[in-house]
Amino acid sequence: MRDKLAGYSELGAKLRSLTGGALFSVLLAGCGSNVTLEPVTIPAPLISPMPLSIAVRIPAEFEHYVHEDEVLGREKWRIDLGGSNAALFSQLFEYMFDDVTVLGPDDDARDLSIDALIEPSIDAFEFSVPSQSKTESYAVWIRYRLKIYDNAGDVYANWPLSAYGKSEQFGLGGDEPLKRAAILAMRDAAALMIMNLDKSTAISALKDRPPKTLVASGNSAGAAAQEEAAQAEKSPLPKRREVTLPPPGPVAGPAVLSMDADEDDSMEKFLEGSSND
Amino acid sequence: MIEATRRTGTILTAGFATLALSGCITSRVEDAREGMTGIEDDEAVVILAKSYHLGNETEDKYISCVEDALSRGSKGLRVIPHRQFVDSLFPWFEPRTAPAETRGLPKLMERPGVAERIADQKVRYIIWLDGDTDRVAGGGSLSCAVGPGGGGCFGFAWWQNDADYNAAVWDLKGLESAGSVTADVSGTSFLPALVIPIPLIARARASACKGLADQLRDFIIDEPEV
Repeated sequence: MRDKLAGYSELGAKLRSLTGGALFSVLLAGCGSNVTLEPVTIPAPLISPMPLSIAVRIPAEFEHYVHEDEVLGREKWRIDLGGSNAALFSQLFEYMFDDVTVLGPDDDARDLSIDALIEPSIDAFEFSVPSQSKTESYAVWIRYRLKIYDNAGDVYANWPLSAYGKSEQFGLGGDEPLKRAAILAMRDAAALMIMNLDKSTAISALKDRPPKTLVASGNSAGAAAQEEAAQAEKSPLPKRREVTLPPPGPVAGPAVLSMDADEDDSMEKFLEGSSND
Repeated sequence: MIEATRRTGTILTAGFATLALSGCITSRVEDAREGMTGIEDDEAVVILAKSYHLGNETEDKYISCVEDALSRGSKGLRVIPHRQFVDSLFPWFEPRTAPAETRGLPKLMERPGVAERIADQKVRYIIWLDGDTDRVAGGGSLSCAVGPGGGGCFGFAWWQNDADYNAAVWDLKGLESAGSVTADVSGTSFLPALVIPIPLIARARASACKGLADQLRDFIIDEPEV
């Protein structure tokens, strides 16, 4: 009988422990969110590809980008963009250029006959949730940077671009609205690159460059050290000029970051009329 | 016969109960015509939200509601789902790239594949929705309590939602604006409670959806009176 009672007591203790654990997990879950994006696919764009042969180097930190933030000092958010950015940029460049080689970690661009090497990165990631914005929307801002190297390994262009996506929470459960906002921001980046990549970086001019024996290794650390000198030497590009980002918020307009002095005109056109100009 | 009469009675009772249990709605739907309209049987329309880059807040739910309402009924139009249309013309109808005015249409049509893709889907009109539903006022107080003998609520609460939407109709045949339709709906909901709360909900957004869709259908199908 005593054994039976001891057994019941042990079972009760286990149940209490399990219930306590479950409650603790629920409380923890209430304090934060973990969002992981699946690889993104974009529709085939209606564009004519540029007649260029390019290589794309995806840095490890770009392929495994994780953003951690604390909203209003309470909710902890961990957003793992995973391979979604790498998938997006690889697909996009396949559509934008005639010949694209995505370099693996052990590949050397010197072995390839290419016109340019593109290396994307993320400068900043921001988001807002309804508890912050006092709206029913989730918003995501991603500031990308594209470094373009010529066939000698020199930095030819350095283009920061800012993308924005917004999604409402109606009809979407859990972290789906934030995922959707992030995907829309990536599509926004794709649209911006299709529209302005050549205008802002003059990448198509690399097609006519005579091949050089020293080809880019894609080592961004080495190239970045020579960036300023290389930029000063290369006259075809206009002087780089950065525009301050507007403060985050659902009503903030698009942030267009440009190297091109003429870009201010296109921004005005965008705001007052058709942005297809 | 008795069964049919009983069923009609039930439907009438349910209808009266629904009417009695809804809040107050005031609605104004107007159109402004700029050109002749009309649509062939095989032609379609597509409903898109104006860009959120320009501050527009039109809800996805509202777009789907107007799509459903426009395509229903004997005079229903062929409606291409907005996401399908935007994907088929990627990236030219993304929030950043979509034309904001009809003067951007000729240049858009010159882009490779755009005119063909629109022609393939036989899209005659693009309808751009702008606007949203907001809670503009509210008040009252309501408290509920539960005890060993039971529970109940006591008090009165109310709130007012305004649904203001504008639909700009672009004719892709003439690459020009055909006009616009606006729906301004104000709905006040009440929640009186004497032990049991009785919600009297005014569905402003749903009413704005139906009103706008009905007017849009007439606007597109009917020729203006001469």
